[in-house]
Amino acid sequence: MITYIFRRLFGLLPMLFGITLISFMVIKLAPGKPVMLQYSLNPKISLDEIKRLEKIEGFDKPLYVQYFNWLGNLSRFNFGRSISDGRFVMDKIVERLPVTLSINILSLFLIFLIAVPWGVRSALKQGSTFDRVSTLVMFLLFAAPTFWLALLLMQLFCIQFGWLPISGITALDFEHFNWWQKVFDIGRHLFLPVLVSALAGFAGICRYMRSNMIEALQQPYIYTARAKGLSENKIIYKHALRNALLPIVTILGLSLPGLLGGSIIFESIFAIPGIGRLFYEAAMMRDINLIMAEIILVAVLTMLGNLIADVLYAYVDPRIRYKK
Amino acid sequence: MQNKSLNIGILIIGFLTIIAILAPLVSPFDPSVIDQDSLLMPPSLKHFLGTDTLGRDLFSRIVFGARISLGIGLVAVGIATLVGLILGAVAGFYGGRIDGLIMRFVDIMLCFPTFYLILAVAAILGPSIFNIMIIVGLTSWMGVARLVRGEILSLKEREFIQAEKSIGASNLRIIIRHLIPNAIGPVLVSATLGIGGAILLESGLSFLGLGVQPPTPSWGNILIESKSTLGVAWWITVFPGLAILTTILGFNLIAEGLKKKMGS
Amino acid sequence: MEVKNLKVEFFSNKSLVPVIDGATFFIKKDEILVLAGESGSGKTLTALSITKILPNNAIITAGSAKFMGVDLLTMDEKALTDIRGREIAYIFQEPTSYLNPVFTVGDQIAEVIMLHQNKNKLDAFNEVKELLSLVKIKDPQRVLSSYPHQLSGGMNQRVFLAMALACKPKLLIADEPTTALDVTIEAQILQLLLDLKKTMGFSLLFITHNLSIAKKIADRICVMCKGKIVEEGSVDKIFDTPEHFHTRELINAYEKIGRL
Repeated sequence: MITYIFRRLFGLLPMLFGITLISFMVIKLAPGKPVMLQYSLNPKISLDEIKRLEKIEGFDKPLYVQYFNWLGNLSRFNFGRSISDGRFVMDKIVERLPVTLSINILSLFLIFLIAVPWGVRSALKQGSTFDRVSTLVMFLLFAAPTFWLALLLMQLFCIQFGWLPISGITALDFEHFNWWQKVFDIGRHLFLPVLVSALAGFAGICRYMRSNMIEALQQPYIYTARAKGLSENKIIYKHALRNALLPIVTILGLSLPGLLGGSIIFESIFAIPGIGRLFYEAAMMRDINLIMAEIILVAVLTMLGNLIADVLYAYVDPRIRYKK
Repeated sequence: MQNKSLNIGILIIGFLTIIAILAPLVSPFDPSVIDQDSLLMPPSLKHFLGTDTLGRDLFSRIVFGARISLGIGLVAVGIATLVGLILGAVAGFYGGRIDGLIMRFVDIMLCFPTFYLILAVAAILGPSIFNIMIIVGLTSWMGVARLVRGEILSLKEREFIQAEKSIGASNLRIIIRHLIPNAIGPVLVSATLGIGGAILLESGLSFLGLGVQPPTPSWGNILIESKSTLGVAWWITVFPGLAILTTILGFNLIAEGLKKKMGS
Repeated sequence: MEVKNLKVEFFSNKSLVPVIDGATFFIKKDEILVLAGESGSGKTLTALSITKILPNNAIITAGSAKFMGVDLLTMDEKALTDIRGREIAYIFQEPTSYLNPVFTVGDQIAEVIMLHQNKNKLDAFNEVKELLSLVKIKDPQRVLSSYPHQLSGGMNQRVFLAMALACKPKLLIADEPTTALDVTIEAQILQLLLDLKKTMGFSLLFITHNLSIAKKIADRICVMCKGKIVEEGSVDKIFDTPEHFHTRELINAYEKIGRL
């Protein structure tokens, strides 16, 4: 088991190399010299000054040297400074992390809480009205753009019903609230984003769970379970479900990058100060360091997420965990 | 029950395509004409789906938006499929190191967050319909590549054995002649789903202001106005989104139908 | 066990297709009845139907299956769960696939013990060890904490046997239990089965398409063809004076291969 993990980790190194290399090339290919971009807003800088700055930043050195310097910085999580305010990119990302993280974790939780039982129920009642209506609903959810759903729900809950606030994560007079009020306030603000985020991932997991469950129920060992005299419930929830849930574990692992990724679109709609919105702002400002930092982080996380998914699955499935 | 999905899907998309092609004939108004007298009017006999903040007829805008969105979707997926086909075929056919290299490249590309990348490039290189098509295409080829490679690999098992028995020469021809009917199925499914996905990406991009630029109408950028007209003009939110939903639904249904046809 | 006029049909494309078309046979106490026939004749389905274990799209449309006088087919699910595993037990053709891959073998045997005998986990596992020794497994402790995929086919069949006999059933239904095993293992398992029958005492319904096995172990044989029982009689009668042409076909087939 441990050797398996180490072997996989080792195999990731060339991927890491590839990711950073491609990212580096994208940075270099971006039009406009980086130094120009940073200081172009300052008209007082002369050409000599710019050349001097280039030398300091190391831009005059050959590309591969720049690449390794950059890699070195990366390993220390130094992604450079943001163009807009000169702060370290990493700091800006870290400060926005908790918001995005909480929304994503909550939404993931919500998805699993609802999608798994729903999928199981659909499988058990295959072909029934419930199942067919569910299939239709899932199909529609799949095809609907999430930001549109966000807008619709906003229209409904915020304007029509006036129950929930439109944007941000805290009310204006947040500072004056007591602890309970603060919690409630944040809850009110996060409700819609979490809901919309959950709706997005819901359909997929529900369908997946359904097909897994259907497949599990058709396996030979279900006949054995029945022949032993086990009750229907035991057969379904103990024997079939355990098998059907195995692959879901991989989904958990694959959700990891999404956790930190943050949806750009609905963070913008809901004015949530999260990583997605940060990226959008960076893109508009052509803040190349911030842009690449987020892209690389998410790419690396995706890589790790895949690994974790595989490892988790190997752990959970006895057929892989204990090889003959 | 016999392939209801396929039929409904084709119906939807066929209808949409016709509307898109005949856009100027179908839309009652010029989509860019500003009418100061009819700002933000709800749906009526004159304006089927209402008007937007500049008095432009929503129905006409959505009809023209269909052109843009469908067009972008088709071209983007065309690019993706072409790139994927070539890379996948090369990887599968030559095998060995080239295969390993290309597949590694695929794995790496798959790690990158698509929307982030697209957004970044659109921001840096400037948003334009052309750019969007290319970017979306260049970030969506990986699935096709894997599919094509898989097909070739399984074909190599079969064909080479036969080929060795018979002529032995022109095995390239054999593979090409057998590859296409076999691989075309999954690739078609992938492409169909891909068009839906591309439209989704484009609408998201346009919504953020980095896609199709106004005044050219795209379903995504019509929705930009909905943010500011939320409680006031529900039609601006509902109809463009419905258009996107229906389109993607149509493509997904076609894909489902195709899968059923092939699965049996 | 007395089965009369059993009819089982399948839903297929909105119509009912008969698969078992009026099967009638009986098994006496402590008898070995071999149900013989080709693949597809409906043997397995018959065996499962008598305790109302059916696939989703199958339905029993007629007949009775009287076990010790009581018709199982008229009982409700709850009553049947009491009989299954305790009075009537099954072993199947491919033991490894018929065992749940995510539970240890010991867990699965203990499950049936705890279900029907109200024992706690500790007692149940002790009994599991005894049962495993009973089926001639040399290292019960190691085996019971193993997963099905870690054990060989023959080993798994012994495990299955232990699981089936755990509650001392009166009728054991064995559906081609040795077909998937190597010939040498096959002989061992068959011998084990016969020995256990002598010591524990149960009736055996043995399903097979292999007439040489039938000749060796059966008291009586029923020949099944396309969902109907076409011939029935003692071993000697069947082999010496087969009446139905299908019976003769089966015998011929095995004579040709020189098995008989």
